[in-house]
Amino acid sequence: MVLFLIKRLVGLVLTLLFAALVIFLVLEILPGDPAAMMMGVSATPESVAALRAELGLDRPAAARFLEWLGGFFTGQLGLSYTYRVPVAGLIAERLAVTVPLSLLALGLAVAFGVTLGTLAAAHAHRRADLIIMGMTQLGLAIPNFWFGILLVLVFAIGLGWLPAGGFPGWAADPMLASRALLLPAIALALPQAASLARITRSTMLETLSEDYIRTARAKGLSRSQTIRRHALRNALIPVLTILGLQFSFLLAGTIVVENVFALPGLGRLLIQAIGGHDLILIKSLVLFYVATAILVNGAVDLAYGLADPRLRVGRA
Amino acid sequence: MMKPIRRLAGPAILALGLAHLALPAAAQPRDALTLCQTLEPPILDPSGGAAAAIREVTYGNIFEGLVAYDRNGKVVPALAREWSTSVDGLVWQFRLRPARFHDGSAVTAADVKFSFERAVAPDSKNAQKWIFEPIAAIATPAPDLVEITLKSFTADFLDGLAMGDATIFSAASVGKAATEPVGTGPYRFVRWQRGDRLLLERNDNWWGPKPALKSATFRFISDPQAQVSALLAGDCDAHTNLGAHEAVAQLRADPRLAVTIGRTEGETIVAINNAKAPFSDVRVRQAMAMAVDRRLVNEGAVSGLGTPIGSHFSPNHPAYLDLTAERPVDLAKAKALLAAAGYPNGFAATLRLPPPAYARRSGEIIAAMLGQIGIRATIEPLEWPQWLERVFRNKDFDMTIVAHVEPLDVNIYARDTYYFGYQSPAVKEAYARTKTARTEPERLEAFRAIQRQITEDQVNLFLFMLPKITVARKGLTGLWPNWPVPANPLAELRWE
Amino acid sequence: MNPAWRHPSFGVGAVLMALVVGAALLSLVWTPHDPTVMRIMARLRPPSAEHWLGTDQFGRDIASMVLVGARNALLVGLVAVGIGLVFGVALGMLAALYRGRLLDEAVMRGLDFVFAFPAVLTAILILTWFGPGLVNAVIAIGIFNIPVFARQARGATLQVLAQDYIRAARLAGLSRMAVMLRHILPNITGLMIVQGSTQFAFAILAEASLSYLGIGTQPPNPSWGRMLNDAQTYLGTAPHLAIVPGIAIAITVLAFNLLGDGLRDLLDPRMKER
Repeated sequence: MVLFLIKRLVGLVLTLLFAALVIFLVLEILPGDPAAMMMGVSATPESVAALRAELGLDRPAAARFLEWLGGFFTGQLGLSYTYRVPVAGLIAERLAVTVPLSLLALGLAVAFGVTLGTLAAAHAHRRADLIIMGMTQLGLAIPNFWFGILLVLVFAIGLGWLPAGGFPGWAADPMLASRALLLPAIALALPQAASLARITRSTMLETLSEDYIRTARAKGLSRSQTIRRHALRNALIPVLTILGLQFSFLLAGTIVVENVFALPGLGRLLIQAIGGHDLILIKSLVLFYVATAILVNGAVDLAYGLADPRLRVGRA
Repeated sequence: MMKPIRRLAGPAILALGLAHLALPAAAQPRDALTLCQTLEPPILDPSGGAAAAIREVTYGNIFEGLVAYDRNGKVVPALAREWSTSVDGLVWQFRLRPARFHDGSAVTAADVKFSFERAVAPDSKNAQKWIFEPIAAIATPAPDLVEITLKSFTADFLDGLAMGDATIFSAASVGKAATEPVGTGPYRFVRWQRGDRLLLERNDNWWGPKPALKSATFRFISDPQAQVSALLAGDCDAHTNLGAHEAVAQLRADPRLAVTIGRTEGETIVAINNAKAPFSDVRVRQAMAMAVDRRLVNEGAVSGLGTPIGSHFSPNHPAYLDLTAERPVDLAKAKALLAAAGYPNGFAATLRLPPPAYARRSGEIIAAMLGQIGIRATIEPLEWPQWLERVFRNKDFDMTIVAHVEPLDVNIYARDTYYFGYQSPAVKEAYARTKTARTEPERLEAFRAIQRQITEDQVNLFLFMLPKITVARKGLTGLWPNWPVPANPLAELRWE
Repeated sequence: MNPAWRHPSFGVGAVLMALVVGAALLSLVWTPHDPTVMRIMARLRPPSAEHWLGTDQFGRDIASMVLVGARNALLVGLVAVGIGLVFGVALGMLAALYRGRLLDEAVMRGLDFVFAFPAVLTAILILTWFGPGLVNAVIAIGIFNIPVFARQARGATLQVLAQDYIRAARLAGLSRMAVMLRHILPNITGLMIVQGSTQFAFAILAEASLSYLGIGTQPPNPSWGRMLNDAQTYLGTAPHLAIVPGIAIAITVLAFNLLGDGLRDLLDPRMKER
């Protein structure tokens, strides 16, 4: 048990380190000189060189890599090339948009996904099931950014109920800020809700066919009573673990959706950083995304392993 | 109107009266403003980066120079109350007005000397070092007197000093200029919520007349559709240069908004690598010009709101010559020219495009137009850093599209190493005359000679001047309709 | 009638796919207008008798662009799935054959690593590195597909290897290579087709996202994702631009998802009840 834990944790740390190394290597050999970018079209070579020195681009790559890694523990990730402020601060600022957005989307996805999935299972192979399953297929097929555009078309441009994009900030008016996150969260939640509904339905059907449920039914409980009292809880465990895997898709989804709605979150920062060739910022952002995905997946993996001893031995 | 009501009595009427009082209160001249612009500045130090967005926020608001451009592009006094030059034009004396930085310290001649010497120092990141290069010496005979001696007569020295790159800093606060700027202007920096907005408040110690607006927020909205929505929803009181050209008709129809189509100094051109075959052949370049209908490009790229140009020169300038009729569209003649140059079946080339919408949209149209005479242009979109590195610095390109936004930047055709690789003794000679000309007519004639020559040689394809589309709520006055330099001086704004 | 057609998912999926493939094939020989010709003075027109779906910001015919876009989407799916299939199946079978040994561990760890990166992020990184464009986007999506197929192929190969007749064949002296080609490959083909269908849908969605962000397909090649990117600029003035390309993407993705589901059920009747 302890050995299993240690083995998994070491694996996790090694994966993270390797990810950092790959990201660093890929981004350090990107074509283009960030210093030249900042200086614009009429800068002299000397002033570009001066900026290179100031940004530390003339030091050996190995030293820069180690310093960067250390920065994740001390919060010293360096100064953004374009914004000239600490990267850690920029990321923290943008998390105030991306984290609430992701949580809101996750909440919506779970609420709708589990409800619809359970409903479908309760009416398996009947009309409601067919309709719900058809809807989930649509949900999986509609690109989230297009759904976002449609939402803007209807609710922002057509009806004028909600803002088309942008983010007023939490400080000014939290109500207004939440409204700005609503449409993006819905767009982000759509594919997640669809796949959660499908998973909920199939685990629910599996649970319903197990003996203790049959016993419950035999005792005279109705199908929906059985679902509410017994099956739901048991069916939700695999759903929760799937949620961990879905998180990585959700995270990637925020990159696209934040750009649809011009939300000042991490995803938009990433696209802006790429546009500005802000290497220090890109590196830290990408590692942040990848590390989050790896850690969430690792945690799910661990939880799985702890819950199911068969998985500890090796991969099936 | 109020009289009959006043004669009546009773609490209900009192309430009505209050309601009446409340309405004019809300409509009273407001003293706050939300000004939206398309791009967010990466930093706020105008001496540390070339981005126009820096100047759009700081020029004449946070930072000032000795002199400034006004809305007509005329040089007017700023921190220098007055100035004089010696007869030979080599010695300039600037008399400073009593002014203070936002941290309370006085503006002295030493600050001017410090700022200019910093700008020209080897480790300077100033994007326009040419402004300061003619300077031989800076003396400070008195705390309010600066004496600058030039190496040689320079006709555009004062114009340079009016640019944001010649901002006056104090040595004590210049280190933070990028993120927490301390300037001398009518507005001081309060807070910057990156990715969204920046807050300024009135500097009550400013030397000029008290500005009407107490505070102003700059909001940064890059998506064209979001710009329109924000204007319609009232989230923006004005947009300084709208990206959604197609929405102009819709916004004009809105009774709450006023739309002004103005001009920038941005000559949008298809820059051609003159040093590279087949473009080194003037016949090829002329053929390309005959295949491109700049009016259609203007229509498709900026909804026809730009001003077509036939040379690299701004119609805002008195020396402007209209050369748009010089090489009219003629596909048959263009193909014949190409054949004469040895390309009867055309050729393949790349069109490397920087990110702005005007470049990407013009690029698609230009590629289609060149295709009609057999020039197969492949579009390669680049981010600014790659564009600067590959196209601008390493001259690794066939064609590109870019707007040259600096005022009076025709001097680039006289530079030996400029990216489009054009060499012309005639243009160099004419340009030298603009620097040494002692009379205005002489100087204007020299500029006209350059325009004629570069059009004759068809160095690049000259498309149009980028428009400036100002949209503001009715009642807001004082926004610059044109951009001689990209700037939005808040002190000139007021609510009617 | 073949019972396969009566399976609802498979049936609907097949019809939709026929529609998309038909559109792509049709666009090879005929489109209402030339999708690359610009009529700038007739730009952003709403649907009319001449332009069934209206015109875009350069006055190009949207109906024609959507038809040609089908070709683009199918090509993206084919190549991205092809890359994933070829490399993934090879790696997965190899890992299975050397189960528990260093090679297996190394291959699977490496693939886990690729899989740990969110797909769109990987693609964005690759496109930042190599520059935007359709070819690079397809390669990026293909790379993400490799671990998906490899995992499936490894699991399926292990199952086949455990069967008695394979052991017998090995005992009879058949080489590893021969076993792979003669017995394993035919056995896992069905499963790979099912997975391929799902990944096809994923690839089309991914290319649309990347093109929407402006780093996928470049003009003048029509791409549904890029059309949506352009459309967003004109949402207030020409909303019709935003509708049809999105529907086209959704139909294509739906077709391949449904086909995959249907095939899975048909190949493995036990799963049908779920």
